[in-house]
Amino acid sequence: MTTKSISVAGNSVWVEELGDGPPVLYLHGILDLHGIEAEPMAFHRHLAESCRVIAPAHPGCAETGEDETITTIDDVVFHYLRVMDALDLDTCVLAGSNIGGWIAAEIAVRHPERIEKLALIGPTGLFVSGHPIADIFWYAQPDDGVRYDGLRNLLFAGPRTEIGLSMIPDAKDEIDREMLKYKAFRFASLIGFRPPYLYNPKLHIRLDRYTGPAAILWGEHDSLVPRAHADTYSDRFPNSRLEVLPNCGNSLIVESPERTAELISSFIAN
Amino acid sequence: MHPVKLFCWHFMSYPYLPEDFDEKYESGWVTVPNSLWDREQAKGLYQEYIDQLVYADELGFDGMVLNEHHQNIYGLMPSPNMIAAALSQRTKNGKIVVLGNILPLQMNPLRVAEEYAMIDCMSGGRLIAGFAVGGGPEAFNYDVPSPQARRQFWEAIDLIVRTWTEDGPFEHEGPEYPLRYVNAWPRPEQTPHPPVWVPGARSRETMENAAKRGYSYFLSSRSHGDQTRKAAQAFAATMAKYDRTYSPFDFGILLSVYVSETDEQAKIESQEGIWYFLRNCLKGHLRTKGRTLTYGPGVPSASPDSWRGFLEQWQFGASQLGDTQDWEELDQRASIIVGSPETVRDKLLAVVERAQTGNLLIQFHFGNMKDELARKSMRLFAEQVAPALRAESADIFARDFPAMADTIEMEPAK
Repeated sequence: MTTKSISVAGNSVWVEELGDGPPVLYLHGILDLHGIEAEPMAFHRHLAESCRVIAPAHPGCAETGEDETITTIDDVVFHYLRVMDALDLDTCVLAGSNIGGWIAAEIAVRHPERIEKLALIGPTGLFVSGHPIADIFWYAQPDDGVRYDGLRNLLFAGPRTEIGLSMIPDAKDEIDREMLKYKAFRFASLIGFRPPYLYNPKLHIRLDRYTGPAAILWGEHDSLVPRAHADTYSDRFPNSRLEVLPNCGNSLIVESPERTAELISSFIAN
Repeated sequence: MHPVKLFCWHFMSYPYLPEDFDEKYESGWVTVPNSLWDREQAKGLYQEYIDQLVYADELGFDGMVLNEHHQNIYGLMPSPNMIAAALSQRTKNGKIVVLGNILPLQMNPLRVAEEYAMIDCMSGGRLIAGFAVGGGPEAFNYDVPSPQARRQFWEAIDLIVRTWTEDGPFEHEGPEYPLRYVNAWPRPEQTPHPPVWVPGARSRETMENAAKRGYSYFLSSRSHGDQTRKAAQAFAATMAKYDRTYSPFDFGILLSVYVSETDEQAKIESQEGIWYFLRNCLKGHLRTKGRTLTYGPGVPSASPDSWRGFLEQWQFGASQLGDTQDWEELDQRASIIVGSPETVRDKLLAVVERAQTGNLLIQFHFGNMKDELARKSMRLFAEQVAPALRAESADIFARDFPAMADTIEMEPAK
């Protein structure tokens, strides 16, 4: 396991690397490495048993510097093309969870030639009429200053699951974790607070541009991104398959880390 | 030496909420259903509030203060400029302080430059132009991503002041508001432009930006302990970096006051309005119960460094002004000062002396307070508190700011 800071267009980007094998560029979500945890979590370690996981922190997240020129999802795509160049990733497997899945999809439809396989885990990113992505920013503001049932309900299979309460307790967390979370929300706010909310209205009509293999992983009880989005992703990617995991919400990587990692590993291997 | 300036601030809250509002609704902001607006009862409400501000002018206040809020019961002025326009025609002497227009909510800052210039001309040069960046509720109201808001804010201010001071037409390059033709008519009556006030919550960034441009700073806090003095000192130090010398008139604070004949009488008369204000109007803003939208990861406008500083001192779930349980606790917060003329005078003088501020922006109307009570408090304040405050504050300033005596006396006589 190594961590390093690389320079991309004059800004520092914090990158965590673990495991050996085919390179997988992993783009994190909010409840994730760099989003709330400083160290790789069970999911990342399982995935690293069969591949080389390369996990950069988004602009402004963890130790990656804030970049004032990044204000839209397009800017983020250009940022990651530069990150791939800096990491000598001519082509790679691209995976992402939550907002990281959205970014991964945006990269894939623009540069399908650089993506060997695409794995999206509970990604935001799409507009599906009548099925809006829920307002994660509203529920990031706790009830009575301290209760996060609303936020947990969006990120987990319910408001008070065991794993949910341990990841987002009804209390002030350790300051370093609170800071990671704040920075992750700040990045998400930059690209997803104003309409369109955590989506790109054009993305769904561009999905056919990526014709490589795509795995779409979804939680059975996802209250953040409705199931209709899973169907849209899997219907419009010409070469995709959808896996729905039971007893999970949006945070598959913490709610079912082994199974999620296994599904991605076997998707990469086969 | 000029005495302390006393302004009357009206928030124009919605006074007709049902009794069970606190039980049933998580917030008085953003999602508070507008089906609660009672068309019949609300007839004449704006008239009543405007009349109170006109009364303040008649009583000799230095000015009237308005501000902007949206989709809430705390302040019914989505456009304070409309009230300012009304005041320009009905008041004669006092400054009209709009504190302020929330710039990131504007499609085009040119509109603010134009409307403020109109108000300045319509009022005979009485506008004080406030600019606000907006807080958490405003981010949700108008879908403004918090990290961008500050950048838009300072570009918009610079553009507005440029339209007032530089001959047009000129082109503004942006990046937030690129405009081909900037050539605002009318121009403001005051030269070079109306005084600019910028509210801030102690962030270093806002102080720097205000100080280096020569603007005044208004501390947007409702409680005044040691932090208020520290904020004034921090702004003074920031001004010094830019070769400006702090005077008490470069700094303003918000206080709330109710005056009656005796301390006891003041409590009896004000309690309904004050507790309505604390429980309902502050719910969603400065009250921990319910859902506070003012700051947090959902509205991450503060830089990560500022947020770390906040985290280090804040206990989640800690009681805020709106959670105040009783009069004793309210008294300790030095936010809402209730009492006889003597009590109020002494407490305000202590604040002036401690905070070294020359601008007291005072809220007299609370929540659902009856018109006659708000007027009575304003009248007693003007007749029995203001004269002593003015006399004694002038002495305090002469003692604490001897070097300022000459410059401050050069201000136009009121």
